[in-house]
Amino acid sequence: MKVRLRAVLNLSLILLLAGSVRPADAADLKDAIRNLYGGQGILLEPLPLPFPSQESRFQASSLQGLDQLNSQLTSAIGVPAFNSSVTGFTFDIERGVPVRTTESLGTLLTERATTLGARKLDLTFTYTRVNFTKLQGKDLKDLELVFLRGDANGNGIRDTSGPFSFESDVIRARLSVDLTEDIFALIATYGLTAEWDVGFVVPVTHIRLIAKAHAAIFDQFGNPGGTKVGDIPIHRFGPNSSRPDASGGGDETGLGDIVLRTKYNFLRHYDDLVPDMAFLVELKLPTGDEERLLGTGGTNVTGLLVASRTYARWFTPHVNLGYEIDTKDTRQNAVRYALGFDARLLPELTLAAGIIGRAKPDGSGTGDHIVDLSLGVKWNPIKSLILRTNVQIPLDKNSGLRADFIPTVGIEYIF
Amino acid sequence: MPILTTRIVRLLSTVWLLGAVASFPLPGEAANIVALKGADVDVYDEALDGFKSVASRAQISEYDMEGDLQRGKRFLARLKSGPKPDLILAIGIWALQVVVEEIRDIPVVFAMVLNPSTVIGQEARNITGASMNVPIEQQIALLKKASPQARRIGVIYDPSKTGFLIKQAERIASDQGVRLLPKAIASPKDSFAALDAMQGEIDALWILPDVTVLAPESVQYMLLFSFRNRIPLLGLSENQARMGALFGLSFGSGRDIGIQAGEIANEILSGRRAEEIPFTTARRLRLTVNLKTAGKLGLQVPKEILDRADVVIR
Repeated sequence: MKVRLRAVLNLSLILLLAGSVRPADAADLKDAIRNLYGGQGILLEPLPLPFPSQESRFQASSLQGLDQLNSQLTSAIGVPAFNSSVTGFTFDIERGVPVRTTESLGTLLTERATTLGARKLDLTFTYTRVNFTKLQGKDLKDLELVFLRGDANGNGIRDTSGPFSFESDVIRARLSVDLTEDIFALIATYGLTAEWDVGFVVPVTHIRLIAKAHAAIFDQFGNPGGTKVGDIPIHRFGPNSSRPDASGGGDETGLGDIVLRTKYNFLRHYDDLVPDMAFLVELKLPTGDEERLLGTGGTNVTGLLVASRTYARWFTPHVNLGYEIDTKDTRQNAVRYALGFDARLLPELTLAAGIIGRAKPDGSGTGDHIVDLSLGVKWNPIKSLILRTNVQIPLDKNSGLRADFIPTVGIEYIF
Repeated sequence: MPILTTRIVRLLSTVWLLGAVASFPLPGEAANIVALKGADVDVYDEALDGFKSVASRAQISEYDMEGDLQRGKRFLARLKSGPKPDLILAIGIWALQVVVEEIRDIPVVFAMVLNPSTVIGQEARNITGASMNVPIEQQIALLKKASPQARRIGVIYDPSKTGFLIKQAERIASDQGVRLLPKAIASPKDSFAALDAMQGEIDALWILPDVTVLAPESVQYMLLFSFRNRIPLLGLSENQARMGALFGLSFGSGRDIGIQAGEIANEILSGRRAEEIPFTTARRLRLTVNLKTAGKLGLQVPKEILDRADVVIR
């Protein structure tokens, strides 16, 4: 009991520390890309008289393009999956003996139907590093945005010939985005009864978003500098325009979105064919500051049906299927699924692998169907201590905001 | 008898009496009990809760062996070197095993142990407790009630494991007007031939709490035998009933067994000796009836049985 009290006090301390970390140099990291060119989009150098002014001709499209990229990036940053272990003993009622459940140390990112056990407390600390490298298949270090200018003569089209062919000039902005997340998470699970677990995940996140852009003007044929009248370019950067090179962003550290969850194992050892089954409910709270990119800003509710079955006391395949409702933006509602197994290779070593997917039926086009491969091991060196490591590998890098791989390490203890 | 001898005898008697009185907690004084748990299992925790509910005045220190016999022995070695508790509660077979080896002079009450006499030798006079065995009388009575025409009950057993149960069962069956047909096996693979030899000879089949008999292949074959020969099978658990046995009869709950152990502990703390108190069997039972199986066997399960069933599989 003293140990559990200490654990709760430690948690309070972590929450206090997480809440006390102040924003760094970026007060509004969420709009870092949108505001790259000062928040008003790209303004060009005014032309000398008697030419009509061209300075705001790219303003609308640049604003729109940067805003779209900003939204694509920031809405795709989510909270990685977490779960808890299942270890210890079960009781063989027929033989009257406890049976070690070291057939497996449990899954890593997916769920099994079995619960922790009455009055058991599982505390896990994990560290996850996410270095995003792709957005919809494009390299984050080499993104290109093309801004079109507004219609000058009012004919409703961009002329490609004649005196108004300069309407087809474009600004190409090459962007390099450095986006990383370091997530420290405390995961606690408590067995209220033999079949019913409750728990929470408290993430403390450090996020870094640095964007650099270089804009250049081209004519419709791709010639640098754009269309000219004589030697004078119609569109140009100058001392009174936005600077072609821009950078922005920064770091933020703080409490992320806290997840509350409960799992009820309603079917166990039914017969030789039917798997063990459980229902899991997760509630993600908007505790992370959305403006600082520490949270998604919405409350999500997830219901997940979990089925698993252990064969020969070492091999446990499992299936998860459920639906996540985003109360803030229903386009983010997603079908969640996972298919995998965990296998005891040695009494103290378990391998876990699985396919984890998330499909948004009414998605916005960015990351509407994300599928990852998860591979990891759990090692139980002494008593109830478990060391865990895992890597999540995107199977389709052309969907959403992706990292090449997401490593996680953790330490877990069951009281 | 010379006066001196008489005085010495009186003195010794007084000293013995004082010692005996001193060795039990005085009324109003909380008894010091050490609860040794074999492993961290829910049903053991339930048993401990049940024990505490009836031994509420005792001071109970808990220790979990975490399934490690050596750890249990080390704990008992430490315990013996310090002030002795008034009683040790051994929860589960592993805790009982180490206590049997290590403790001779402290009263021991066990709980949640199946077939305790296989662990406790005749010479151990300080140990008694509440087993999780189901009373044989009730098992045979259940089979008779379900199938009144049943006169011959088949059972396979490993003499080295449950020979003592068969002796008791033969006597009880005879008292209830049925005949037990036991077939001895030495390994799970012997069960096939043993069961085949019973074909046409028995009216019901009974699964014993015997690790040789409980091998998965043996249990599967008993289920098959039951269906093929259309005779009821009495299993040991809800799980076996779900697998296809007509009945599953097990102890009611860990808490019930813990309460029984607590009552025994109270008797010992009141001055009764452990050797005077026989092991108990489960007082409350949990009955599962599989009506799907009953249908396949062409049996009508009496309402009386269905009314007392805790789980009915339809």
